[in-house]
Amino acid sequence: MKDSGEIFVGLMVAALGFAGLVLASGALDDEMYLFGFSLAGFALFFDLMLLKHHYDRVDAARAEVRPMARGAARHD
Amino acid sequence: MTDASITYMAPHQLSTRLAPVYNEAIVRKFTIATMFWGIVAFLVGCTIAAELCWPGLSMGISYLNFGRLRPVHTSAAIFAFGGNALFATSLYVVQRTCRARLFGGAALAEFLFWGYNFFIVMAALSYVMGFSRSQEYSEPPWHVTIFLVIVWVCYAVVFVGTLLRREEPHIYVANWFYLAFILTVAILVLVNNAAVPVSLYSSHAYVAYGGVQNALIQWWYGHNAVGFFLTAAFLGMMYYFIPKQANRPVYSYRLSIVHFWSLIFMYIWAGPHHLHYTSLPDWTQTLGMAFSIMLWMPSWGGMINGLMTLSGAWDKLRTDPALRFSVTAVGFYGMSTFEGPVMSVRDVNALAHYTDWVIGHVHSGALGWVAFISFGAIYYLVPVLWNRTGLYSKKLVAWHYWIATLGIVFYMTSMWVAGIMQGLMWRAYDKFGFLQYSFVESVNAVHPYYIIRLMGGLMFLVGALIMVFNLVMTVRSRTTEEFARTSQDYPDAVMAGE
Repeated sequence: MKDSGEIFVGLMVAALGFAGLVLASGALDDEMYLFGFSLAGFALFFDLMLLKHHYDRVDAARAEVRPMARGAARHD
Repeated sequence: MTDASITYMAPHQLSTRLAPVYNEAIVRKFTIATMFWGIVAFLVGCTIAAELCWPGLSMGISYLNFGRLRPVHTSAAIFAFGGNALFATSLYVVQRTCRARLFGGAALAEFLFWGYNFFIVMAALSYVMGFSRSQEYSEPPWHVTIFLVIVWVCYAVVFVGTLLRREEPHIYVANWFYLAFILTVAILVLVNNAAVPVSLYSSHAYVAYGGVQNALIQWWYGHNAVGFFLTAAFLGMMYYFIPKQANRPVYSYRLSIVHFWSLIFMYIWAGPHHLHYTSLPDWTQTLGMAFSIMLWMPSWGGMINGLMTLSGAWDKLRTDPALRFSVTAVGFYGMSTFEGPVMSVRDVNALAHYTDWVIGHVHSGALGWVAFISFGAIYYLVPVLWNRTGLYSKKLVAWHYWIATLGIVFYMTSMWVAGIMQGLMWRAYDKFGFLQYSFVESVNAVHPYYIIRLMGGLMFLVGALIMVFNLVMTVRSRTTEEFARTSQDYPDAVMAGE
């Protein structure tokens, strides 16, 4: 459930970023040009942040499992 | 409604009622953004106040002229400072009074924070670049507004989803106010921003309404931005944080419900009072005026409910300067909701309209009510969110309180005098029936009062900087070291209408 929420938000922001690129590509004024590229940049950084949070959680889970595994090996 | 509902719970009930792990990270981010944007808003406000005193200050740089910086100031104050404060407190309050973690997961909450603040930055940039819809409080170009709508729909999903998954049977009244704010602002923004873009790739768009219809829709939006963004939502803040700070239940829960329904029913009709003596039909102007007068009742009912919550706890005002902010805010709320209906009366409006009296009125609400109730809530929230034993310095809170209060007094009184003087000068005729004063004479006459207003604004800014220092030290200082929390430290259900 947690991952599906992240995937949904990540895809939604990626779509917004793509829309930003489209707006910037045909922009008729400075404001639209700036907005389009800013939106694409926002989407890029936001999705990278989601990816980082995901792998931070994976690393944290691994770090929790390793000491437990070492403890189990000692008992063996 | 009393502490007894917690005290007399059987231990097994307590164990099943342990608080879930709340999403506090997002509340912390919104709290930091609130203070950041607060400083920006006050700084830009002081800059444009100085430009009104000495117009040459913009140095001919188009990005710095009053017309472009003014919407930066209003948007930074209302949507950035106020909006972030509302996001922070609403997401905090809904979790605690519902005993439920935010709906939609951490990623959606993160999108709310980054998306909303991205909208603010984009809106501000569009203003300084000279791209504005020229409709007050609704200046962002159409595509920036569409982005806001996406963020706002996500906000509604998170808030309503959290309400639906609540563990408490009752929806606490603060959540009703926040919900009305979220839903009504969505409708207001959608209707008032209806426009046909010149091109998909152009920032310019034609407004869907023409002439007086556009004016009516704009002020239906504008006044309800005040009513639902700056009043209803901050009342939600009041109904949660004053009871928590005073450690007393709400004075009358029934009155709070009556307050809610009457306020939201009446506010929505009051917008036409912004269009007295225009081509709007007379009956519509009278309708707006009548509903504005009727608003006295719910407004003052709410004020009395907030103040009376301190019954038996007034002594805390001596020892808790943060509570002083919240209570003074309620006082300012009562004062500005008295002044507003007075100014909506047609004959008073004939004198007040287009003068600085309106600016004074708006700032008694914005600084005295909105900012003070937010400061009170943030002073309460920061030690809780960062697990600190208390604030770094209560003395600094007291300094902030007195400097800011004095600043507001300077601001309001100077604008009252300037505004009434302007109104009287503009309507003065000589014995031949000619206007007695030219417009520029009235500009010269208010110059000293503009300087006093600037002093008031600077004092408010200095107070906010003291607050930022105090909050940073609260989080970083060793004197406020962390302590372990338990769910019993937060008997939120006490306030949640049990």
